[in-house]
Amino acid sequence: MTTATEMAGWAGLQFFGRTTASVSHELKNALAIIKENAGLLNDYLLMMDKGMPLQPDRFRLVAGRIDQQTQRADALIRHLNRFGHSVDEAFTSVDLNEVLALLSALSSREVSMQQATLSTEVEASPVMVKTTPFWLLTLLGHCLSFALQVMGPSRELVVRVTKTGDGGLIRFERLEKMRQQNFPGEFEAALFEVMGATCRMEPEKKSMEIKLSNC
Amino acid sequence: MSEKILLVDDETDFLEVMSERMEARGMDVTTAESAQKALQEVEKGGFDAIVLDLMMPGVDGLETLKKIKEKRPALQVILLSGHATLEKGIEAMKLGAMDFIEKPADINQLTEKIRKAKAQKMVLVEEEMESKLKSIINAKGW
Repeated sequence: MTTATEMAGWAGLQFFGRTTASVSHELKNALAIIKENAGLLNDYLLMMDKGMPLQPDRFRLVAGRIDQQTQRADALIRHLNRFGHSVDEAFTSVDLNEVLALLSALSSREVSMQQATLSTEVEASPVMVKTTPFWLLTLLGHCLSFALQVMGPSRELVVRVTKTGDGGLIRFERLEKMRQQNFPGEFEAALFEVMGATCRMEPEKKSMEIKLSNC
Repeated sequence: MSEKILLVDDETDFLEVMSERMEARGMDVTTAESAQKALQEVEKGGFDAIVLDLMMPGVDGLETLKKIKEKRPALQVILLSGHATLEKGIEAMKLGAMDFIEKPADINQLTEKIRKAKAQKMVLVEEEMESKLKSIINAKGW
């Protein structure tokens, strides 16, 4: 019989694979643009060799594009690095505001592929909970994938962090098509179980609430 | 005569730089940043080849490829992607893609494939014309 921990572990591995594939794809896109701009500089130099005048504005434009894409690639690697470090400690204190920001960054491609927009609303001060950071990200990643399936025609999702007396809440809103869905599925149920978190589905409010407690 | 190319990718920076480089190599390039816009351009016709990103928001590259092939079977499609799995490549070839290039692409390799695509399209168009002529001749009993 498969235990909840094994199920959660498998869900985590899937999420890890999916996320790294998605971020590496983004990274390749940035690298492709950098490479083509470097190639374009070479084209300009070849044209100059043939006697065509140098156009400084063109060089400035290319330099700007390379700079922009390098920053994009750097941010992607930074997020991937933080994601990798989420397994450093099995149980530790995390700020839900920061976890949500990382989830949003790691999922940006998944969101844009669905032609959706994701807005996050966080508390002004840290919302600390003791948890397993990697499983928390996995669980929220699964919740976000579900939210993308049941969002409304405006394709806008809102995820909100709220502080509670003993922990915090993460609320997914504008789930317009949410009915009696089979969510949480077996993987998500296993994650909730091993993390001691709870999920409240509120079809009438078109939202889903994840409760994380320090108790 | 220059090759008439439709370049499709959701990354506008990529479209800008790639089209400039392709134009510098004598190609006539039209760009589209979505599958929907690409299909509108295909409807207008006149392209020798399409360079199509496999992973795009909304309708993905394979779905777009299928629709392009339904509209213009002779049109040659070269798929370009940073997400080159063997399975996707095989699926693309089965759907009628002429070739599959992984990003970052080599411009010389891409240019060569585009020239081959144009030649292939011309062969297919000639065959199609010949077949039409034959059926007219047979129908009229000439």
